[in-house]
Amino acid sequence: MSGQSFLSTSGTEIAFVLVGIVALGAALLTVTTRQLVHAALWLVVALGALAVEYLLLTAEFVAWVQVLIYVGAVVVLLLFGLMLTRAPIGPSPDADSRHRPLAAAVAVAAAALLVTVVADAFRTTWITLRPGAGSAEANGIGLFRAWVLPFEALSVLLLAALVGAIVLSRRRAARPGVHEEADD
Amino acid sequence: MHLLYPVVLSALLFCTGVYGVLARRNAVLVLMAVELMLNAVNLNLVAFDVWLRDTLHAGQALTLFTVTIAAAEIGLGLAIVLLLYRRRGTSSVDRLDELADRPDPPHPDQGAGPDPDADQDADPDARPAPDATSDDQPRKAAA
Amino acid sequence: MSATAVAAPAVHSLWTTAAAAPIHAPKIEYAQLSPILVVLGAAVAGILVEAFVPRRARYGTQLAVTLIGLAGAFAAVVGLAATGYATTKADLAAMGSIAVDGPSLFLQGTLILVTAVGVLAIAERGLEPQSREVPHVDAFAPQAAAVPGSEDEKAAARAGWSTTEVFPLTLFALSGMLVFPAAGDLLTLFIGLEILSLPLYLMCALARRRRLLSQESAVKYFLLGAFASAFFLFGTALLYGYAGTLDLGGIAKVVTGDAAPNAALNASAHGDALLLIGGAMIVMGLLFKVGAVPFHAWTPDVYQGAPTPITGFMAAATKVAAFGALLRLLYVALPEMRWDWRPVMWGVAILTMALGAIVAVTQTDVKRMLAYSSIAHAGFLLTGVIAGNKQGVSAVLFYLAAYSFVTLGAFAVVTLVRDAGGEATHLSRWDGLGRRSPLVAVTFALFLLAFAGIPLTSGFSGKFAVFSAAAKGGAVPLVVVGVLCSAVAAFFYVRVIVRMFFAEPRADGPSVAVPSALTGTAIAVGAAATLVLGVFPQWAFDLADKASVFIR
Repeated sequence: MSGQSFLSTSGTEIAFVLVGIVALGAALLTVTTRQLVHAALWLVVALGALAVEYLLLTAEFVAWVQVLIYVGAVVVLLLFGLMLTRAPIGPSPDADSRHRPLAAAVAVAAAALLVTVVADAFRTTWITLRPGAGSAEANGIGLFRAWVLPFEALSVLLLAALVGAIVLSRRRAARPGVHEEADD
Repeated sequence: MHLLYPVVLSALLFCTGVYGVLARRNAVLVLMAVELMLNAVNLNLVAFDVWLRDTLHAGQALTLFTVTIAAAEIGLGLAIVLLLYRRRGTSSVDRLDELADRPDPPHPDQGAGPDPDADQDADPDARPAPDATSDDQPRKAAA
Repeated sequence: MSATAVAAPAVHSLWTTAAAAPIHAPKIEYAQLSPILVVLGAAVAGILVEAFVPRRARYGTQLAVTLIGLAGAFAAVVGLAATGYATTKADLAAMGSIAVDGPSLFLQGTLILVTAVGVLAIAERGLEPQSREVPHVDAFAPQAAAVPGSEDEKAAARAGWSTTEVFPLTLFALSGMLVFPAAGDLLTLFIGLEILSLPLYLMCALARRRRLLSQESAVKYFLLGAFASAFFLFGTALLYGYAGTLDLGGIAKVVTGDAAPNAALNASAHGDALLLIGGAMIVMGLLFKVGAVPFHAWTPDVYQGAPTPITGFMAAATKVAAFGALLRLLYVALPEMRWDWRPVMWGVAILTMALGAIVAVTQTDVKRMLAYSSIAHAGFLLTGVIAGNKQGVSAVLFYLAAYSFVTLGAFAVVTLVRDAGGEATHLSRWDGLGRRSPLVAVTFALFLLAFAGIPLTSGFSGKFAVFSAAAKGGAVPLVVVGVLCSAVAAFFYVRVIVRMFFAEPRADGPSVAVPSALTGTAIAVGAAATLVLGVFPQWAFDLADKASVFIR
């Protein structure tokens, strides 16, 4: 690992930093824009940029999961949420609360603290990238050997969340006399 | 690659998410900010995993778990937020102020009708917000 | 050395050699995981009941499935403890994910009993006003998404619809709670945290009455809970970067410098700041769950808004599970950091006790008052955690068992005092309750005295145990603050008792509903546990003492 420094940047590093700037910028726009739908779209950009970062870090399986689940499913759900709560098209003045300056102060202080801590801990640390470390096979072996119990527990969690979401949003017209047919 | 790049990016993304949670009023926007925080964690975990060459792939495994749980959480969270929106006509978290410490809250039994079968909200101010233009809700109870 | 670390070389050779190598199946100790598996099985059976059993028969079937599942799980815990898994045969199971040891089994047993009593209160259908059309009315909305009082909902009620899904959801939450204090690594800890949280979030939104408050409490709980989970996760990531492992025992070894698990780790300079910040963020997530100051803001709102039987279950069981996880994290993963975390925890404990006791005095709603009391009790429990010795662990275990039954009983009594609008939770409505229904008032007074820590109640035994452990562990100033806060809180509890027995009853005062055998049993068990653990605490102390050694 010797001989590496900030000056010996590789193509991967440059790409990582550039995509990182895109991700951070999109994230900042997500939390500051006053147009609610734009916030969701900027979130897509940020999450997509992160998927590229995972690819650059050789974690290809995680990258595709990120694209499929986050960009494909979660953001769509959020957009539906915005639509169903009748988010206005165009700027909405009440997107931000009056605590904004306080929130900004907290975030800046937390960022200063965290960046100092990690910079202090990892200032001389380099990753030697090696293709294959994040393949589906390597992840699958890890998941189904070491993490098999949490994995099974996770499936239970998904079942509980599914049932819960149904309980919360189920609304069928029950009329006297027809309830036996409506019975599932 | 220097480990600092992903780790610093992750810390900054996390704090962006913290700002979003604290500064946003719309519950859906708060959920988006929480997603940013979780993604910051994931980037951190993947970077550490690749750096450590973890034979158990603990970092990537936890990343996959986080992504799955985030999806479940979003589904459930939106269900709860929509439930509230249908009643209140708003998804603003600032207006969630029915539950708070008050010097002397109004008696909780004023609005209760004599009809024992009515599942009316007992709070006098539990009517739907004025901007609730009930799309598909029968409003007989509120009328 | 944990099972995951042992497994590491095998996995490594597996994926560096040819892909044709046979896949090594993970080793799962089904017997040692049986309490969790039985609860999960019962929960899944409950879902199947929802799908296949006719609507009218569901309530009875669900209740039976739930109680049988809980009985089976409790038998499994007792069986494991009797065959020595709590002491000599304590080990990590399921590739290091679950620690089967004394504290795990003690807390799992407590949690199962607490849930059984909680389920009795949840299953109550005799308190709401009934009619010939709607013979059974429980505390939950028949259709959460319908407008209360609307034709839709009335029709749903007439059709006999009820939200019997709360039974499997309670079991799902319980399974997360069983995993939470037994987790052997941070990943399993996180999964346990989420499994216990998600069902609770949504059960908060299901109140039949005052549904707006209920839904508001669910939104608050959910948003703050998701925020806290994110902090927990970021802390996990930082600790992973520090130690190169998610294993609690492995982290402890890296902290002490005993083990060098990873070549890449050794080559880098490490700041202890990383460990401190990472640990602090994880502890923050756990302190949120126990409702310690300054992460307590959700507690009063959620306790007030949630359906009261759920509040009782949540208040008792979440606290047991989260304190178990906190103990394991601090005693297994970060024992060497004691001199770093203790000062911070001192501050948190003092703030928690003081704020909980003082703000409770100003409350006018019974449920909010009990919420602030639970915050104060979180502070008392933290003094036991801070003790940092074996006695502290056993004291916290005992306190959790004692406190949870008092809480369940108190919230069950709250469901009984009703007027036309549902539960009469405003304190002024409780004036003169002792004259109208002396039995209910005396029982509630017993629970309040236990909260206050009056001798001959379990609250006294518990407080005595944690304070003496803390004093032994060198935290005498903390004990002094704790006793002062107990005195402030006692003043308030006594004021409520005075109100109940000596104030003039109001003419339009609430009536006390006659509970069915379900709530009656729940209250009776709560009262019996309060008295037994208060008068004869020794056997429980011995049990907790035997169970107080963590496997590493």
